[in-house]
Parts: sequence; C-alpha cells; structure tokens
Amino acid sequence: MTAFRTALASAAVLLVAATTGCAGVKGEAGAGTAGDVAFDQGLHDALPQKVRDRGTIRLATDPSYPPMESYGTDGRSIIGFEPDLAAALGAVLGIKVEMVAADFDSSLDETAAGTYDGVLSAMTDTAEREKITDFVNYFAAGTSIVVQRGNAHGVTDLKDLCGRVVAVEKGTVQVDLLERSKRGCGTQPMTVRTYKTNSDALLQLRTGRAVAVLSDYPTAAHLTTDQRTRSHFQLASTVQYEPGLYGLAVARDDTALRDTLRDALDRLIRSGAYAELLERWGLSSGAVKASSVNAGGGED
Amino acid sequence: MRLRSRSGAEGGSRLFVAYAAASLVPVALLGAVLVNGYRDDAIRQAEEQGRSQAVVIAEMAVAPALEDADLTAGLTTAQRDRLQSATDFAIFHGSVVRMRLRSFTGQVVFSDDGSTVGGVPVADPAFTAAAVGSTDVAVVPDPERGPGEVIRVLEPVVPSASGRAIGVLELYLPYETIAAHLQRQMSVTYWRLGVGLVGLYLVLALISWSTTRSLRRYAARQEHEALHDALTGLPNRAAFRLRARTALETAPRRGAVVLVDLNHFKEVNDTLGHHAGDELLRVVADRLVGALRPEDTVTRLGGDEFGVILPGLGSEEVVTLLAGARARLTEEIVLDGIPLTIEASFGVALYPEHGAGVEELLQSADAAMYQGKRGTVNIVVYAGGGVAHSTQWLVVQAELRHALERDELVLHYQPKIRLADGEICGVEALVRWQHPVRGLLPPSEFLPAAEQSGLIEPLTAWVLNRALADQRDWLTAGRTWPVAVNVSARNLEVPGFAPFVAATVAGYGVPADMLMLEVTETALAGDAATATRTVIDLVGLGAGVAVDDFGVGYTSLSQLRNVPVSEIKIDQVFVRGITRNPQSEAIVRSVIELAHGLGCWVTAEGVETAEVRAWLEDAGCDAVQGTLLSAPLSWTDLIETTGRTGHELPAVPAGM
Repeated sequence: MTAFRTALASAAVLLVAATTGCAGVKGEAGAGTAGDVAFDQGLHDALPQKVRDRGTIRLATDPSYPPMESYGTDGRSIIGFEPDLAAALGAVLGIKVEMVAADFDSSLDETAAGTYDGVLSAMTDTAEREKITDFVNYFAAGTSIVVQRGNAHGVTDLKDLCGRVVAVEKGTVQVDLLERSKRGCGTQPMTVRTYKTNSDALLQLRTGRAVAVLSDYPTAAHLTTDQRTRSHFQLASTVQYEPGLYGLAVARDDTALRDTLRDALDRLIRSGAYAELLERWGLSSGAVKASSVNAGGGED
Repeated sequence: MRLRSRSGAEGGSRLFVAYAAASLVPVALLGAVLVNGYRDDAIRQAEEQGRSQAVVIAEMAVAPALEDADLTAGLTTAQRDRLQSATDFAIFHGSVVRMRLRSFTGQVVFSDDGSTVGGVPVADPAFTAAAVGSTDVAVVPDPERGPGEVIRVLEPVVPSASGRAIGVLELYLPYETIAAHLQRQMSVTYWRLGVGLVGLYLVLALISWSTTRSLRRYAARQEHEALHDALTGLPNRAAFRLRARTALETAPRRGAVVLVDLNHFKEVNDTLGHHAGDELLRVVADRLVGALRPEDTVTRLGGDEFGVILPGLGSEEVVTLLAGARARLTEEIVLDGIPLTIEASFGVALYPEHGAGVEELLQSADAAMYQGKRGTVNIVVYAGGGVAHSTQWLVVQAELRHALERDELVLHYQPKIRLADGEICGVEALVRWQHPVRGLLPPSEFLPAAEQSGLIEPLTAWVLNRALADQRDWLTAGRTWPVAVNVSARNLEVPGFAPFVAATVAGYGVPADMLMLEVTETALAGDAATATRTVIDLVGLGAGVAVDDFGVGYTSLSQLRNVPVSEIKIDQVFVRGITRNPQSEAIVRSVIELAHGLGCWVTAEGVETAEVRAWLEDAGCDAVQGTLLSAPLSWTDLIETTGRTGHELPAVPAGM
C-alpha cells in the first residue's frame, strides 16, 4: 500500500514537472519572438536611410482576416500571425514595424505612392500585382469556399455557385477567380458582390444574402473551427483552388527595403522562429522553405 | 417540595431561554446572509438586464448608423441623422434615459440632448474598461433627475463586422421599472424567507423546549428520588431535615417535631416476613398522613421510624392531634389475612422551646420517645431538664466510652440485710465513675446517657465482669454473699444476653445461683416479649431476677405472673417517709403481700432510720437496704467493716 502510494506520489510529481516543463518551453518560445531572433546590425544598416531616420516601417493591413490578422478583444489592437511576423522582422532589423489598418483594395496603390512602406495583409503575389509592387514571399495558401453551416444549397465546387450570389472581399485574388469561373455559368449567371473587408462579406453569408464566400484557406479553416463562428459556417469542400504565395508588398523602387526584409525573413526561417510562429497560429501547412521575391508572379 | 420544584422550573426555563437565544443567533445570521445574497442577486440581475439591453441598443441602433465613422474627426451630418433617427423613439419614450457617444479620448461626439458636456470622466475605471473592450455596468444615482437610480452602461462601439472599436457608448437606462419589479420579487422573497426562518426558529425552540422539559422532569424525578422513600413514597430523612429547617425558619416559628416509632414492628417483620412489614409501613404511612393536617409533614426516617413536623401548634394541640393519629394507627390492620393491632410511640419536641436546631430537636424528641417507649404513655412531650440534656449526654457518652477503655469505673457494693437474722443476704453492685475532672460520679450522672446509647451494653458487660470477679474473690475470702447486678431494659432486648451472662458466669467459675440480676419495672413493661424471654432464660441459668424500683414504673400484673421473678425491691420513694404517710404504708404493705403471694422475696430500698426498719420488720418485709445499714463500699472495705467473721453489720451512725 505504502509502496503504491509512493509510486503514485512520484508519478504525480513527474506529471507536474512535465506540465510545468511544457509550459516553460512554450513560455520561453512565446517571449522569444524577439529574444530568439538576433538583431543584425548589418541588415539594419542595409535599410534605406529614410526608414532608419523615421525609426519605423509602416505596413498596411486589413484586420478582418483571422488568423492572419484581426482586431483583438479591445477592438483596436491588431493581432495574428502577420503582426507577430512583422514584430519578428522588426527585431531582426532593429526597427519598429507597425501594422496600420487600411483598405485591402487600395493598399497596393497607397504603397506604391509611398503612404505605407509595404502591405502585409495575406496578399497573394500575382503577376497582376507585381506590376504595382514587388513581393517578398513568406507563405503559401489556396482559396476555399465557405458556406453556411448545413450547406443548404449543396455547394461543393465553384460551378455550383452559378445562378447564386457570392460575396467576396474587394481586390482579392478570389475576385479574379470568380470572374474567371463566372464565364462558364452560361444561362445562370453568377452574381459576385465585393465588400471592403472579408468580415463584411461574411456578414452577407451569415444573413443569407450570399450563398458563399471565397477566401484564403487559412482564414476559411479558422472560421470553421473558431468556436464563435463554427456554428454558422463550414467549408464547401477540402479543395484549395489556385494555391499561391503570399507576398509582403514593397514599392518597386524600394529594392533596399525589399531585399533587407527578404534577408530578415530568411534569417527567421533559418533560425526556426518563423516555423514557431506558424505553429503558434496553426498555419504550419503553409510554410515556405526559403524566402523569395516575386516568386508568385513568376510562376503565374 | 413545592418550593424546590418551582426553583427547578425556573432553572429549566432559564435553560430554555438560553437555548432560544443561542438558536436565534444562527437563524438571524442565516437570515442576514440569505437576504444579502438575494439583494446582491437582484442587483446583478438588474445589471445583467441593463447589459443585454445595451448590447441590443448598440448593435441595432448605434452601430449601423456609424458605418465608417471616425469619432476623432466627429460625425458626418449623415451619420448624425442616422443615429438620431435610430435612437429618437427610445429617447422620447424613455427606454433610454441618456445616451452619449464618446471617442476614446473622452470627447462627446453625440448626445441625446445635443450637449457635448458631462459624462463619465476618462480616468474613471468604467470608461477605461470600455476603452479596452469590456462592458461596464453599474446601478448609479441618477445624476440629473434628482432622486432615483439609473443603470449606467459603458461599452465599446464596434460599428463594423471586422470587430474594430471606434469609441465608447455611454448609456443610461431606466432603473425604476426594473427596481420596482425587483422590489416586488424581493418582498416576496423576504416573506418566504421570514416565514421559513420563523418556522425554523419555532422548530428549534420546540426542540429545545421539549429537551429542557425532559431535563427538568428528569431532574425533578432525581430530586424526588433523592428526597423520598421508595417504599412509602414519603419524604426521607434528608427531606425531613430540609423541611424541618424550613419549618424552623418559617412563621409562625413554633410547632413540634415528632418521632414516631412502631412497637412490635420487628416481630411483624420476623414472623410475617418483610413483605408484610413493608405493607404495614405503607398502611402506617397512609394513616399518619390521613390523620394529620395538610400542612403537616410526614417523613420516613428509616426502619419503622417516622418523623413528623407539625408547624404552628402548642403542646396541648400537638398531643390532641397525635392522639387522633394514634387512634387511627391502632385500628386493626389485616396483613396476610392476620388481623393485627399496631401500637406506636410518639416522642414530641416543641420548637422553639426544646431546641433551636433540627438536630437538637431530634435528640429531644428521641429522648421523649425513649421515655414513651419504656412507659405506657405513648405520646410523650419532651420534659426537658438535666438527665435528658442531650448535648451533655453526648459528652458523657463520649467520655464514658473512654472511661470504659481506661478502666475509670469502680464498683461499690451495698449490702442487703435479712431482717429475720440481721445478716447480709447479698450485695448490690453499684457502679461509680472515677471521673478525672469531676471526681467520683454517682450512676445518675452517666447511666441515663449510657442507657440512651448503645453504650449500656459494654457498661453492663463491664459491671457484670467486675462484679463476678469481685465475688470470686470474696467467696475465696469466705464470704458467701450473692451479688446483684443492675441490668438495663436494653440489655434484655439484646438477643444473646442470657447466653452472654451464662458464659461470663462460667468464666469466673462462680455458681450461677449466687448472681441476681436487677431489672427495672419499666423494662418488663415495654417491648416485653424479648425481655420476658431473656428473663426466663436467665432464670433457666439458675440466676435470680429481681424487679427493681417497684412501684414507680408500671408492670402489668400479668407480666409479674408470667415472669419468674424471685425478688421484688420496693422503691425508696415509698419507703423513705413510710412512718408518716398512711398511703405509702398501705402501698408497701400491699406490695409485700402481693410479692409473698407470688412467691417472691421482698426487699425495701432506702431504709435510713431504725424506725422505718422496725416498721418494715413488722410489716413482714424480708430484707432491707439503705444507708441505715451501710453506704455502698468497695468490697474490701465491706469485708473489713463486717469484721473477720461477722455476718452481722456493726451499728452504723444514722445519717450516713
């Protein structure tokens, strides 16, 4: 009996140790977003003079795309994988990287015009967009179809959307995708409605004014697993259409910034900090093996 | 008892009050906790109601009007119009008391009355909380409309699906209707709670009441058992003392303490069994109680002895009352089919005359009863005076006990002279006490005390031993005097006295017929059965038995007939003045005749003059004893005064 109790006690101790051990590891990794990432003076010096003078890199983002980026519970701070990635890049470069809420649709033009230093908003790198800016590729994802839970209209593929209303965020690759698939509908034309944010599009779906929303797979998957939204939405299928690379958009003439960011990202990928961040947000399936520039457009 | 039980009831009710008070504390505490909890719940409920109302207002009226708004830049006219049209009715109907839309910096961007002042300070925790995304609800005093309360809600304004907050909505919702509803709900709750708690308290009180009642009853029963005799149900000795004390201290502070002793009780017990004895005691107890007044107390002190307290009566009234009781007692009782007549002796001590304390009164009553037991008068009031002085007796008894141990007693002998030849025909052993302080004491100083206690037995034993030892000596010296030893009535009643005498006589090797035992007349009159048997046994040994002090006590003639008495000694009261008192003459003459008729020898005591001696000789008396002939002397002195051979006494000067 005594021996058994002792065994039980030691098992409990071991269990506690294991638990705290795990927590410890996790905590260190969390705090290590900046800590693990070593500041690189060379990269810092490679930043354009005006950025260094200003002390910040301002990146436009549309915070309606969890888990990539969204508003926190206070309704003001922006949280998600991309803000974390931005912070990690800032740590490597020794500069503050700021996420600024902006219109997704107009953000590329604004960047080209110099309003922002770049766009970090789950933006797919396409040949079309490369005409406006350059892209530092950091993630890979395709498009998914989100429908109301229960899928009353039996949508399983893009062609099922013919004769229906589809809501989508303005300026996304999904708009292009729909425009292309729309052509095959024939007598039953598909109505594509675009909205300023992805949330606005989802509101249309939730209230039945649209039968589907097209968005990148990570956001769609998050939508159907998050406990606040999973009772309303589901994925029409497991298929990801037209997989592509996300790119951090940088003005085409700002090659110094572009290359520095690419090197910093490369540093993060090699150090494992990048993988850790993806892991934390459940996005490991979209990891890229190395950083690249304008790789999405080139393939297209 | 009545007094006692009242104090018991008081103790019980005090206990009950203590219980009631003690149980009130947890009940009140429980009530307070529950009421507090209910009130908190009510307030929380009100806040919750306010919160959900505010959520609906914000999402249905405020947020849609503020699409794309930037509060730091103020509202556009369109936004303002939309907001107003969305909220006008709610404001107008009072569903919303006051509404403010504020930027995070605290600026009032919109309010229901158009003013841009007022509102919760930005530093207020409620505002801060709303600014970081949580909703704060509180019931606060209405700041503008005087008394009353409103529900204040501060929550972030999130006008877009993306979840972006743009400012803080400050809403004041009416509380009166909610409060009134809650009030109703609360008062119902209070009532239920009150009734429930009162019920609970009553149950507790009932339990404690019944518990204290059983405790009280148990205590009363215990007390009753402690103070009552189980057999007769009468109060016991302890209770007797308590009540006697109470009677002594209670007005009118006069009355009587009476001891009642049953005659022949032992015989009833012995012959009919304890069952009959118990029954007899019960009957006697009932009769005593029935014969006395309600205010009188009858207790059983133990055995066949009863103690009675008669408050407020004088001597004569007591005797009258007791005579009635005695008459009741002597009525025939049938025990186990055998009709019996029981007699009782009553010893009466009056207070305050015969004692101030219970013990003293008891001793006086006992002394009186002792007299009564020996005589025929069954109701004896304590006569007081020297011999019966109880406290002195106690001292004497104690000293006498030591005296026996230290051999302080001595025997003197007074000769009896046979009138026929003037020779000594016997000597009477008379005990004296060589008291270390008081000197030589005559028997009257200590014998009554010894008689009253058990001390008479060792005393008689001592006298008998010494007398027989002396007799053996004088027999050796050639004097053939029989010796007479006085025996108390108590000795006769002790079983085994005759065998004791036989053994003692045998021990000294003197002939038994040389021993005469003198018994007082009263000894034969009381519980005579045992005494008679003892006398018969003594005579059977060969010893003689004389009736002492004849004439002053009482002896039934049938006793004289039944007891084989060999000698009668006429009391000196009759003898002393005989030549001047014709009545005494007549009595003495009759007694001599009676004695001779019964075949007894007659001795006259207290012969002090030659004249009396002559008269007695004339009257036919057989022997005389008295100072005329010889005062009591030690036996050696006696031998010397009687001369070497002489049986004839020398002439003794008169008055010695």
